[in-house]
Amino acid sequence: MADSTKNLKRSSAEREGNNNQDSKRLKTNGDGSANAKMDEKPNPYLAHYDEDAQDGFNFKSPLDQFERQQTTAAQASEAEDSDNNPWTGKPHSQQYFKILKTRRDLPVQKQRQEFLDMYHSTQILVFVGETGSGKTTQIPQYVLYDELPHLTGKLIACTQPRRVAAMSVAQRVANELDVTLGEEVGYSIRFENRTGPKTLLKYMTDGQLLREAMHDHEMSRYGCIILDEAHERTLATDILMALLKQIAARRKDLKIIIMSATLDAQKFQTYFYSAPLLAVPGRTHPVEIFYTPEPERDYVEAAVRTVLQIHASEPEGDILLFLTGEEEIEDACRRIGLEVDDMIRELDAGPMAVYPLYGTLPPFQQQRIFDKAPDALRKGGRPGRKCIVSTNIAETSLTIDGIVYVVDPGFSKQKIYNPRTRVESLLVSPISKASAQQRAGRAGRTRPGKCFRLYTENAFKKELIEQTYPEILRSNLANTVLELKKLGVEDLVHFDLMDPPAPETMMRALEELNYLACLDDDGELTTLGSMASEFPLDPALAVMLISSPEFYCSNEILSITSLLSVPQIWVRPNTARKRADEMKQQFAHPDGDHLTLLNAYHAFKGAEQSDEDVKKWCHEHFLSYRHLSSADNVRLQLKRIMETHDVELVSTPFQNKDYYTNIRRALLAGFFMQVAMRESSNSKVYKTVKDDQLVMIHPGTVVSSPYDWVVYNEFVLTTKQYVRTITNIRPEWLLEIAPGYYDVDSFEKGEIKSALTRITDKVRRRQAMKGGR
Amino acid sequence: MSSLKHNPPNPEPREEEEEEEEEEDYMTMSFADPPPTTTTTTTTTTNQYETSLQRRLRLRREAEARSRPKSKAELAAETDARRETALSQSLFTSQPKSKGLAMMARMGFTAGGALGKKQQPQPSSSSSSCLLEQQPQSISGGARTLEPIRIEIKDGREGIGLESERKRKVREAAAAAGERAKRAKAGEGEYRERMRREREEARWEGQFAGGQKVAERMAGEKEEEDQGTVGSRPLRSIPVVWRGLVKAREEAERDRRMRYDLEQGLAAARLLPTYDDPEEDEDDRKALGKSAATAYVTADDLDEEDTELDEFNALPADERLRRVVEHLRDEYRYCFWCKFTYPDEEMEGCPGLTEEDHD
Repeated sequence: MADSTKNLKRSSAEREGNNNQDSKRLKTNGDGSANAKMDEKPNPYLAHYDEDAQDGFNFKSPLDQFERQQTTAAQASEAEDSDNNPWTGKPHSQQYFKILKTRRDLPVQKQRQEFLDMYHSTQILVFVGETGSGKTTQIPQYVLYDELPHLTGKLIACTQPRRVAAMSVAQRVANELDVTLGEEVGYSIRFENRTGPKTLLKYMTDGQLLREAMHDHEMSRYGCIILDEAHERTLATDILMALLKQIAARRKDLKIIIMSATLDAQKFQTYFYSAPLLAVPGRTHPVEIFYTPEPERDYVEAAVRTVLQIHASEPEGDILLFLTGEEEIEDACRRIGLEVDDMIRELDAGPMAVYPLYGTLPPFQQQRIFDKAPDALRKGGRPGRKCIVSTNIAETSLTIDGIVYVVDPGFSKQKIYNPRTRVESLLVSPISKASAQQRAGRAGRTRPGKCFRLYTENAFKKELIEQTYPEILRSNLANTVLELKKLGVEDLVHFDLMDPPAPETMMRALEELNYLACLDDDGELTTLGSMASEFPLDPALAVMLISSPEFYCSNEILSITSLLSVPQIWVRPNTARKRADEMKQQFAHPDGDHLTLLNAYHAFKGAEQSDEDVKKWCHEHFLSYRHLSSADNVRLQLKRIMETHDVELVSTPFQNKDYYTNIRRALLAGFFMQVAMRESSNSKVYKTVKDDQLVMIHPGTVVSSPYDWVVYNEFVLTTKQYVRTITNIRPEWLLEIAPGYYDVDSFEKGEIKSALTRITDKVRRRQAMKGGR
Repeated sequence: MSSLKHNPPNPEPREEEEEEEEEEDYMTMSFADPPPTTTTTTTTTTNQYETSLQRRLRLRREAEARSRPKSKAELAAETDARRETALSQSLFTSQPKSKGLAMMARMGFTAGGALGKKQQPQPSSSSSSCLLEQQPQSISGGARTLEPIRIEIKDGREGIGLESERKRKVREAAAAAGERAKRAKAGEGEYRERMRREREEARWEGQFAGGQKVAERMAGEKEEEDQGTVGSRPLRSIPVVWRGLVKAREEAERDRRMRYDLEQGLAAARLLPTYDDPEEDEDDRKALGKSAATAYVTADDLDEEDTELDEFNALPADERLRRVVEHLRDEYRYCFWCKFTYPDEEMEGCPGLTEEDHD
């Protein structure tokens, strides 16, 4: 491993050297000896002699005149206006100039020179621009024209919290630069990489950059790193900020830009040694805010009423309603739809199109929110409008033009983790003041708007917290700690994070990694831990995958891991629940949901091979084609990683009676900490091991007669406590596979301890009998 | 909490008993109803005098309690209770000590401290130097996280603030009840006096209202004689003694109309006039009830501040009554007590100004 990184570094250094020469040569060309160059046609057969042909340009470009980190906005504009693309040498398309015109109207454009001046004067820069200022697409391009990565070989990276954003922004910027996506401009997200040897500007998820840093501690591939949407404070962004802060001290040539959309940028400034700040105003209009005089009894009801009231009495303009989850959103959409029909009939109201919007919605349905509002029903009739009912993804990540009215009940689903019960769950919680302001701001994108808050002004002031808690305070840190260890961070306790998590969360993470044998008792990374960190998976999944050859079922565990890494593959529409459940029963394995997943996947692969219309097949069997194929893709990626780390791919023959038993045992190698024991015989209630929480088995399970002991994939906390995706296990396996965790002495007195004691004795007796024989 | 009920009163003996039992147990997993032979250890540790029969009975009862399925409510309560117990206990106090804590201690963490940057420049991370820094670091830049974020489970669709509003109302109701209780404690004599005064005041108020009505009627009659017109007129032109009556009536009427408009549901849209339908003519508008012209027009100065009236209203009831009586005498030669309009200024035959005079 170490050798290969060394090699990598050396080669990049060589390239740098070559590039320097190259740039000199290009400059002399600019001085007048251009003809000589023109004659020197690149000979494709001699390409191996001309090593730097790939990196440098072999055409004339206005960029040849540029001095790195000394360019001006005027120079860049001139290059942008030229007939030929300065980056590819090809002529610019018509489309390019059209886009260029709109780009010049963006608010950031006016401050391009100011930005460059500040960028030249400092290593770390904080940039604040509200949504719509154009910062995500433009700033990386400004940097591109200044850093000239084709000369230095040092790329520009721009991180995004979400995969979709990284992909769509990269596509947009590729269009703006008139280049093919995946060449000069590319993106890299988990399980998908669209970059090439020519890539100069790379959009990527923050998590992806973190993973890269595990092999390149200095981030030496990059000349400038832009952290976008830093105000969202995702776990990966927080870790990256702390890392970059350290790296910046060692690598003076690395430039860092922190981009935020909100006003609390001061916190970033302070954190980065009072870095200079540049703010660009967004294009926003005033938004009038209304509160309810009394608290609401039922916020969904109140939200529906408010939407209808707006439709009846307010002038033209689209409505955005924030609710918390899929079920609630679909319910509200249905109710609004029905009421609007009545209003059209009885009150001559205009038509209203109602669209739901949430993360698990298929993309083509998500696209519908951008449809135009419906026209008036008849000439001269009241104009139509659209109403979008969305989760908080419409709060920051998506921009929908035309929204004039925002209805905000003040709730969202938020991930929360508490190390004391080790439960990570999505819970409906009140939003923060910052979030409420962000929501209100959505009403002022096109013209002055109104925001209706379904709570009192007093409640806004007194009950909402100032800022949403950063993700790092709300997450299980096992994966993060493993990554940090791999990143070479020794002192986790004093790691300089912007908001350090609770000490107990850290302790729990270290403890879990120790049980998984990823860390030894001194807190040092073990071989297993080092290998586990190579997989873009949670440590438990990674450990399960790595140990699966010992159970002769790594092929199967690989499939199960992939299926657990994508959203639910089961489709269960409200209109056909019964049929969906019947179809699921076809794949059911009596001993576990994990095995049922595997059966469904095998059937899917079978359908693929038998030349069936797979999409149709999935539809008929109530399976999500989208999620199954992405599981397939994940499987391929994971398989590659397994192969590079010599994890053998083996299977027990299907005819062997231990085929499924082996898989069930292999599950425990990673998930032995997620086991529950039945409270008493005939009871439906289970108790989680060590945490002693009472749980029920999620009704979605196919296991008809669960055993006294089950392993579960997920602990779901809503108003009830459930374990989801379970598989029957035998307690003897626990003692055998995870003796460290199931050391009877470490258990508190109780039913689980006595049950384990009994089993230990039983096993011992049986062994003694065998030995005696 | 309900869990406690179902557990055996003393879990310890059961524990040992089961271990006992284990030695004689051959592969059966059942422990619900252990054989009564295993008595030795239990009886010595807990209850010396429990006979084997009693014990057997007790154990059977316990087993029944354990095997009885819990009701949903019981289960929910127990689940919540367990979760809350677990959430309220710091992991640092749990036994046995976590290996995670040991690792953190090696990195220089001390219990009670927070994570994050040290204030001093970071020493090269050799573990020995870290161990020396035992003091929790004073941290620059605000409060550090010491405890995990609490989990609050919301199980309804109540809006934000409803819960605290409910609590506030309960608090207020409690305060009001306290106030009433205090008042009840006041002496009995004082109570009689107060009741008398309150009754008297109520009577005065009633008489005052009656006087106002008479004054209004008289004024109306007189005006009709003069001009023969009726209708609303500026409130200020009305003598202060009965202006309050008119004002209250007009306000009530306006409220009633507003409520009516509001209750027309979406017709309330008219309050926020939006769409102008060019094809709509006068008749349509009238038919749709969109016409803004209502038959009733309130006095123009209804909402204006009227200090004269406010001052008058602030007077005690008997004084207001005296004034209205005087007003009637002066203007209309009418005695409120005789209920009679005298023909001349002298008002001959009227015994006097006050009610007592007429007794």
